[in-house]
Amino acid sequence: MIASGIRWPMIAAAKTNNEITRELVAPNEDKLPVWWYVGMSLGTIMLAYGAWAFYTSLTQGLGTWGLTNSVGWGWDIINFVWWIGIGHAGTAFTIFFLVFRQRWAASINRTAEAMTVFAVLCAALFPLLHMGRPWLAFFIFPYPNTRLLWVNFNSPLLWDVFAISTYLLMSITLWYFGMVPDLATMRDRSKNKISRAIYGFFSMGWNGSMIAYNRYETLTRMLGGLAAPLVISVHTIVALDFAVSILPGWHATILPPYFFVGAIFSGFAMVLTIMILLRNAFKISDFITEKHLDSIANVLKFGSLVIGLAYAIEIFIAWYSGVEYELYTFFNARVSGSFSTEFWIMVFCNAIAPQVFWFKKARRNLWILFIVSIIINIGMWFERFIILISSLAEDFLPSSWTGYSPTLVDIGIYVGTFGIFVCGMLLFIRFIPIIAVNEIKAFKKDGN
Amino acid sequence: MAYKHIIAKFKEEAVLLKALTKMQQEKVTLVDIYGPFATHDILRKFTRESKLPYASIIYGLLSLTGIFGLMYYTSVIDYPINYGGKPYFSFPPMVVIMFLVTILGTTILSVLTFHGRSMVFPGKPTKIIDTDVTDDTFYMVVDQNYNPEEIKGWLQESGADEVFEKEF
Repeated sequence: MIASGIRWPMIAAAKTNNEITRELVAPNEDKLPVWWYVGMSLGTIMLAYGAWAFYTSLTQGLGTWGLTNSVGWGWDIINFVWWIGIGHAGTAFTIFFLVFRQRWAASINRTAEAMTVFAVLCAALFPLLHMGRPWLAFFIFPYPNTRLLWVNFNSPLLWDVFAISTYLLMSITLWYFGMVPDLATMRDRSKNKISRAIYGFFSMGWNGSMIAYNRYETLTRMLGGLAAPLVISVHTIVALDFAVSILPGWHATILPPYFFVGAIFSGFAMVLTIMILLRNAFKISDFITEKHLDSIANVLKFGSLVIGLAYAIEIFIAWYSGVEYELYTFFNARVSGSFSTEFWIMVFCNAIAPQVFWFKKARRNLWILFIVSIIINIGMWFERFIILISSLAEDFLPSSWTGYSPTLVDIGIYVGTFGIFVCGMLLFIRFIPIIAVNEIKAFKKDGN
Repeated sequence: MAYKHIIAKFKEEAVLLKALTKMQQEKVTLVDIYGPFATHDILRKFTRESKLPYASIIYGLLSLTGIFGLMYYTSVIDYPINYGGKPYFSFPPMVVIMFLVTILGTTILSVLTFHGRSMVFPGKPTKIIDTDVTDDTFYMVVDQNYNPEEIKGWLQESGADEVFEKEF
């Protein structure tokens, strides 16, 4: 008889509820490993470099960046789009879990959501700095400002403000609500008064009441449902920042779905990188099994096919349109011109390398998984580089063509956001259970 | 004199479910069940469907009309600006912000409703039966009703690990 075999067991070995608690909170309770301090030190160094770049940008202005009259959006917007893309995975996992009932995602969604929150925070920093005068950032919110002017609701840049603020708030809400029962577990296991008081404060007096659980489940399911269209809309709106302009290479209807798939693709790649690291750093391979990693690899394989198809369609439509500017951007600037190296790196990293996941052996080999996930993250950065720089640097008017190279300040801000991300994730790992303990207990018997 | 509830302790969800069925058959008044995670069988048997989604629909409609009103007021009434001859009132670009603010408003108001209805909020003092309730133990809290001894007997028969009386 063929077992319905909804899926593999979510936990590799049979465990009692108490064993699950002990194993999953061990990273929060045990002595910190040496690599944690090493990571924190590296993160702090990166943060220091970022702080210097941030200070330089604030005090000396955007002239310290590599921007030119033609390339008005440089590293800042590349990195903004890259971080926002990475920030899509957390909420996507939560939706998998809550809406599509993919319960295997319970082992991953907590960390993926943490990653989302830190990635979106990093992303938000770039447009903020790009304003030139970030202390006036509140001008972008809809209120009658000093001249009694309102914001322009027809602008995709304002849509972005709304999209990212909503997304950040939603991600934090989903993340925090998901962890409340686990914070209560941490509170009740705390041995010292200070940590009990802090966990107690954030666990909202959670006492395990089934009546409260009922409302809580309804709320989280509902938030998952609300987040689903939001995830799709956020990167769609980021794509519209480009697509509603008239630049060759940007002015394309394929950009919104292409950006969305790219975001899920890069986000899942980052989740894979982090989960492999955590799986090896802590003894949680019973909870993040090879099958979990296999599933993420399958999603990446699918994403890679869609991305590859999008690249091909873009080039085909440029040729089919017969518009000389489109032809130039795609065939001269990207495929075989000033930006061909970056273009082919992008194609290799995003469309070719992940095809290795057609082989089961590759999906079960941690080294291959890890390396390909890093390759995808690099490739997705190059994708944003190609879209932005190749279109801006060589547009309609050859007399305004220019090269582009980032300055130390540009690089510093990017490195600084890595510092925020690394330090944020390490603090998360230290203080919050990296796997949703209560959800694992609830679903452990289902095998789905 | 302080009122004491009958409390039954369970390590296994299946046993708890059996005891819950028995209590419901005998029409015993239950106060609540506490446990480390939400088991769907118990939620289905013990709780009613939450009305939060209905409230959320109202919040969504309020947010939608609110943001549409704000955009119409700012673009057409308060400060109309002529962008290259385009109409002051243009619906398609409003859709994006209406969509986002509907989600934002629904989320914020639903979360606040949850806090208000469940009376949980950051900083709320903790009141738990025992610390193992967030680890691996379920507790069924039962009203004394008119037949406390009989209830204790039923709970023990159902397989409760421990039955005791406590103020809660």
